[in-house]
Amino acid sequence: MRRDPEVTGVSRRNLLGGAAAGAVAVAAGSTLLPRSASAATDTASHQYAFEGVHQRGILTPAQAQASYVALDVTASSKAELVDLFRTITSTARSLTKGGTPPDTGLATPPSDSGVLGPVVPSDGLTITTSVGASLFDDRFGLADRKPARLRRMEDFPNDDLDRAVCDGDLLLQICGHHQDTTLHALREITRATRGAMQVRWRRDGFHSPPRPAGSSRNLMGFRDGTANPSTADASLMNQLVWTRSGGDEPDWVDGGSYHVVRQIRMLVEFWDRISIREQENIFGRRRDSGAPLTGSKEHDVPDYAADPSGEVIQMDAHIRLANPHTAHAKKQQILRRGYNYDGGTDANGNLDMGLIFTCFNADLERQFVAIQKRLADEPLVDYVSPFGGGYFFALPGVRDHQDWLGRRLLT
Amino acid sequence: MRSIDSRRGVLAGIFGATLALTACGGPSESAASSASSAVRISAGVDDCGKGWASPHGGRQTFELHNTTVAGEEVHLENAATGALYLDVESLGADARQQATVTLGNGTYRFVCLPSDGEAALGAKVTITGSKDVAGATPPLKPVTRNELIPALKSYQTWVRGRLPVLQTQVQQLETDLKAGDLASARASWLAAHQTYETLGAAYGAFGDLDGAINGLPAPGKTARQDHHLEGFHRIEALLYGGAPASDITPYASRLVRSVSDLRSAFVSGRVDPVDIGLRSHEILENALEFELTGRTDAGSHTALATVDANLTGTREALEPLRTILAERYPDLAATERALDTSQHLIRTFQGADGEWTPLSALTRSQREKVNAQIDATLELLAPVAAICDPRRTS
Repeated sequence: MRRDPEVTGVSRRNLLGGAAAGAVAVAAGSTLLPRSASAATDTASHQYAFEGVHQRGILTPAQAQASYVALDVTASSKAELVDLFRTITSTARSLTKGGTPPDTGLATPPSDSGVLGPVVPSDGLTITTSVGASLFDDRFGLADRKPARLRRMEDFPNDDLDRAVCDGDLLLQICGHHQDTTLHALREITRATRGAMQVRWRRDGFHSPPRPAGSSRNLMGFRDGTANPSTADASLMNQLVWTRSGGDEPDWVDGGSYHVVRQIRMLVEFWDRISIREQENIFGRRRDSGAPLTGSKEHDVPDYAADPSGEVIQMDAHIRLANPHTAHAKKQQILRRGYNYDGGTDANGNLDMGLIFTCFNADLERQFVAIQKRLADEPLVDYVSPFGGGYFFALPGVRDHQDWLGRRLLT
Repeated sequence: MRSIDSRRGVLAGIFGATLALTACGGPSESAASSASSAVRISAGVDDCGKGWASPHGGRQTFELHNTTVAGEEVHLENAATGALYLDVESLGADARQQATVTLGNGTYRFVCLPSDGEAALGAKVTITGSKDVAGATPPLKPVTRNELIPALKSYQTWVRGRLPVLQTQVQQLETDLKAGDLASARASWLAAHQTYETLGAAYGAFGDLDGAINGLPAPGKTARQDHHLEGFHRIEALLYGGAPASDITPYASRLVRSVSDLRSAFVSGRVDPVDIGLRSHEILENALEFELTGRTDAGSHTALATVDANLTGTREALEPLRTILAERYPDLAATERALDTSQHLIRTFQGADGEWTPLSALTRSQREKVNAQIDATLELLAPVAAICDPRRTS
């Protein structure tokens, strides 16, 4: 195994927060989000420590590429389910570390697909494993272990959900600096777990570079995630991202997080035919700078006190409904970590592209659901169509080399 | 996305780490070092294995250089048992090829096998002082063509014994159609088709005759639309698509002739020993690609009956290899159990009246279960072809 003791050592010292460990890799490339072809050699050795209180891929700065894969468990007993989680853990551990795949000799096909060459680079790979509500049905006797807020994602008023691309017993969110890295990880994990789970739906996404600076743009041309809470603020993350046991939550959930994924088609041809004024009023922000209409720069806080009747930022603008900046709304903030997707074309030749909306929150009802309900019938809904996704719960982190994903849930 | 300010804060906090990181070697360096550390081995007839100075245990890379004027194959074997660690095939004249292996204590030697000559044995090389090497390459006792021939003969005897059964069944189909009895014709069609699907015709094993007997419609056409199509699927489209018996009979008569041709061809034809190992996983690969996706269904909705037949065919292909595999494949028993479990699962979709559930009537979780079971079985079957790939030993 080619392994860099410095990287792992530094990351372990920063276990208190994924943000710090995440930043190691970012700093090493001396660019925030390395993604160009020439960055391949710079990023190949970037390694996020697999073990920690929390899983990676949550506070970790968004890598350039993501593969979202929802799976259904086909294992037929609790013991087989435990084997499945152990196998996912060991495979994810070696993939994120990188190194030389084992030599299984002449009696088998090669142990690795070879997609990343003979020595597998870490390449900023993170694999975040989450569980869906259906895992807690009667198959494995886990009904009383279900995270309290976890349930099948409901149809919100403006949704057009195709249940074939919704839900799932498990979700793997695989992120890395390059798409070959995420797809390699997907192939190796599905191969290692063959028979115990089946892919239900999947979607690949990409994170656009800053154009020209600031938050990454979505495919409507607007910056996405500007209002995110700071991942460097550990106490804020404890309030907003990490779920705690106690109350109605079971004892194993500490350090996990509710993981919401929504596949949202953007009707980009229609969007491109409306005026910039209408576009900006719909969001409440300037398209080019990302500034709220009441301000001048991206990170200026929208000034609703000075605009109580919506003369500047209309009352049903996306940002105003999503975060009205009241004391109450502070507790509802979510951590967004979305990716853009490109899905080819539809039957009438329109481009199928949009957003894999992703967010993490400590309390699904108090945060994501409350915000989503406020957004019902906002003007933006004419230009987007949510069609898939689901609610999941990102498992607590793997503490050490003996530990495995879901251990506290299953034992 | 977080604000620029907060990112700066994080970066400043781990600046020391940044320095440490940038000082580390990248992948290009490690690649270069592995190239320079490769042990250069001559692989000619007179100098086979020359160059292996200071042998040591652990992971190591050899650069094999074919110093002859023709293609050759190079093995690294255990000098005591003849088990192989490396088998570099098709190494061209003057070509160099790197091969990596992890070795523990033992006595080894290279064997150079020119395509047009006898094997040349390299000098024996002993590695000592390397106990408990982690991840050592597992050796494979090579399977020769001669060892495969009895297995192949046994398999061929089985196939040959099934062809008269197939012939009787397609003749019955023709008889039913001539009598205008469509219900009986459907039952005869299914019986004959299942028999054929046990025979391991996957991926062109029966050549053009498979196209005449069990071909699929041309791209973009259905089996009903493709007037050039004949055989089982053309008959299926007509039989389950409301065609009168008289329209179907000529196709049944042609099918009878094609099966007769297959019997003749099979008697005179030679099968390569490499095929038997391939057959034991390709039949089921074919089932996964064409049957469990519903692609071959021309109206009978009997994909699961076909998969059941394919599982039988897989067991029949595996059966004569059991002796060879018993000492080489630790998961043989698990593979056979997986085949049993698969067949049991598939047969839960056949009713007491013999009717098969259409693939499209399976619930999502039933379909996932079927796919998962076949997938898992295929993973277990994959090493069979690798093990039974015939290798030269002299």
